[in-house]
Amino acid sequence: MKQIEDNIRELNKLQNLQQRSHWMNRLHPLGKLLVCVIYIFVVASFDKYAFDKLLVMAVFPAFCFIVGDLSLKDGLYRMRLILPLVLFVGVFNPFFDRKVLFSVAVAGSQMAVTGGVISMLSLMLKGLFSVLSAYILIATTSIEEICYALRILHVPKIIVIVIMLIYRYFGLMGAEADRITTAYMLRAPKQKGIHYRAWGSLVGQWLLRSMDRASAVYESMTLRGFNGDFRVKRKNVSATDFLYPFIWIVLFILLRHFY
Amino acid sequence: MHTGAKGEILKIEDLHFSYEKGEEVLSGVNLTAHDGESIGIIGANGIGKSTLMKLLVGLKLDYQGVLEVAGHAVNKKNLSHIREHIGYVFQDSDSQLFLSTVEEDVAFGPQNYGLPPEEVERRVEEALLKVHMTDLRTRHNYNLSGGEKKLAAIATILSMEPDIIIMDEPSIALDPRNRRNLIKILNEINALKIVTSHDLDFIMDTCKRVVLLDEGRIIADGNADEILRDKELLEGHGLELPLSFSRR
Amino acid sequence: MHMADALVAPAVAGTMYVLSTAAAGVSVKEVRKQASPEKIPVMGVMGAFVFATQMLNFTIPGTGSSGHLCGGMMLSALLGPYAGFLTMIGVLLVQCLLFADGGLLALGCNIWNMAFYGCFIGALLIWKPIMKKGASRVKIALASILGCVLTLQLGAFSVTLETLASGVTELPFSVFLATMQPIHLAIGFVEGLITTAVLIFVYEARPELLWGVGETSEKKEGKLSLKNTVIAVAVAAAVCGGVVSLFASAFPDGLEWSMEQVAGTSELEAEGGAYDTAAGIQETTSLLPDYAFKDSESAVGTSFSGITGSLVVVLVTVGACYLFKFFKKNEAD
Repeated sequence: MKQIEDNIRELNKLQNLQQRSHWMNRLHPLGKLLVCVIYIFVVASFDKYAFDKLLVMAVFPAFCFIVGDLSLKDGLYRMRLILPLVLFVGVFNPFFDRKVLFSVAVAGSQMAVTGGVISMLSLMLKGLFSVLSAYILIATTSIEEICYALRILHVPKIIVIVIMLIYRYFGLMGAEADRITTAYMLRAPKQKGIHYRAWGSLVGQWLLRSMDRASAVYESMTLRGFNGDFRVKRKNVSATDFLYPFIWIVLFILLRHFY
Repeated sequence: MHTGAKGEILKIEDLHFSYEKGEEVLSGVNLTAHDGESIGIIGANGIGKSTLMKLLVGLKLDYQGVLEVAGHAVNKKNLSHIREHIGYVFQDSDSQLFLSTVEEDVAFGPQNYGLPPEEVERRVEEALLKVHMTDLRTRHNYNLSGGEKKLAAIATILSMEPDIIIMDEPSIALDPRNRRNLIKILNEINALKIVTSHDLDFIMDTCKRVVLLDEGRIIADGNADEILRDKELLEGHGLELPLSFSRR
Repeated sequence: MHMADALVAPAVAGTMYVLSTAAAGVSVKEVRKQASPEKIPVMGVMGAFVFATQMLNFTIPGTGSSGHLCGGMMLSALLGPYAGFLTMIGVLLVQCLLFADGGLLALGCNIWNMAFYGCFIGALLIWKPIMKKGASRVKIALASILGCVLTLQLGAFSVTLETLASGVTELPFSVFLATMQPIHLAIGFVEGLITTAVLIFVYEARPELLWGVGETSEKKEGKLSLKNTVIAVAVAAAVCGGVVSLFASAFPDGLEWSMEQVAGTSELEAEGGAYDTAAGIQETTSLLPDYAFKDSESAVGTSFSGITGSLVVVLVTVGACYLFKFFKKNEAD
């Protein structure tokens, strides 16, 4: 199935990006996480009519994509999952809100731009910026590093361990999903999906296998002294690790309030 | 190292085991092993090889008989102590490598035993050196090949510096070159090695002593060369001669 | 159903983060109380499993289209509400980071809309009471379908409320609601059916894996075969869901469908087309006053010169970045 292949490809692509030796990859994960979240927070806080002010927030993604050598195409591609709901929510604004804000001269005639058009554009731009910001984070920071940052922020250990394990085994399970569906489709070439007669047994057997794997993982953990606790090696912090988030966050606040 | 008489670090006497209400899987196993030995455990599918291995590391505790590792009885009280002495390499390396990078996984065991960071570091270094993987230290586990995963899994056990290493089908799904490499590495390890495998040629190349199990008992126990050449004995218990002998 | 960052105002996102964090706090406490480290790898591996099964396509009998598994109900039937909830948090976070499904700011909302309802309501209020006196095929089917339908309805309702409260849309409450709820009814039924099939399989093979099933387990009422159960439930679902399940299942995602549905029927040719239709629906179905959340015509309007000015700033930045990169490269060479 195409979706599985796409996801596995995307996962590999991200993992390759995370392993580059770019200076942005080497920054402390906590700083990058904070910059990303605060950026999204600031973007979301703009008024729906403040399209012009919101537009300036493009400086952050622009910097990171250009300096960080990231592909804008890949970033835009990641819009696909959230786009339907964002479009649905925004696309009717021009019909409901028809207050004219200003007009532009297009090919000799005056075209009125309404509040609805502006609020729709703002919404799309917010969607774009937040997706790009998250992409910048994940393209330069591995999930393990993000987990490390979450631990510093006092997210409970059990949640962090579960996230790490989900990430570790998702790749394997994704590949397994691919093999299972390929094997299924090879014997059922005319079906688009899994027939209802196989719903229970196909997923169910896979589930039981996964449970067995979980207990093997547990056994291998206990055999190496696991008792519910994970220890992590501390990361060193340099001056740049402080400066990078500091500069961005100050800039975001300035742009938000004084531009 | 706490060893009994004559460097004896594994003692099994009249060991019986059955899964809940089921038939007996092990019915009277006797086995002693000494420091530095290499033992291959062979036998057809489903005759209790894996069960025996799981009992040795204390994953199942409701057995009858005597089971001692490094002078300690395998029971709940001694569990963490015993596990410092004995390492288990799983058949599926992915179950063993649950952290992201090779070094993190290799450090997991020593860290859990509360060793100081310098000691953990020394152990990681040494374990990786033993499996010739120093270069792949910071690699992510998902990026390793099947052969590399197996070696990384072995390194996670070596870093605990165990007296006994148990390996469940280590040669499975390895290509000839990785298999040869694994044989070489195993032969360089000094601990007591217990290997279960259906790959009798692999057993030939890595073990000096062979134990043949069938119906929950030890049928034969002795020199690897003798047992693995005994066509009648092997075929009588669902096995076949190693390829290297049958060709001649 | 995943909400994007663009749809939530910071205040709404913050509120939902607080609620989700509270639920997570309770869950962490409960899971710690059980003190079984064994559960941790199970949570991790099952989280990855649910994540992977979400990518499978399930053919919906008689429609030629396919349904998907979201997995919240399945997870809580196996792990219980608390461990299930924490696992779902992990799944949602990894999903949002790796595949941009949802967003970091909207994560609090998504945890609430999907994980909270699926795990707490689904497991504690539906699954547990039904399984109190032991499980059976019929009970599993009942709990799965009821659980999936109800939790998805609650989730969809919350999406509507959160979006409106964020003030990003001019869409009237009733129109939004009237599109969201029926679609998620159909999605819920299909998810319920798949969950039923999977859980019945688990029940027959390893019943001890199911969570919260009473000690005094009844003997299996197993006259019905799996096939018959699935068919019976499917018929019931078709009857209950009525027309909705028929037209909604033809699309992979209900949200996508609702978009096309509303936009398509009104053609958008006349400017007032959609508005009139929507207003008509709204008049007849209005539950809350429309525009209840619309802000009071704030003074912050965009002007043409403002946009031009911003564009210049962005372009200058882009130029500066390229220069920065150029010099950095030369330095390295």
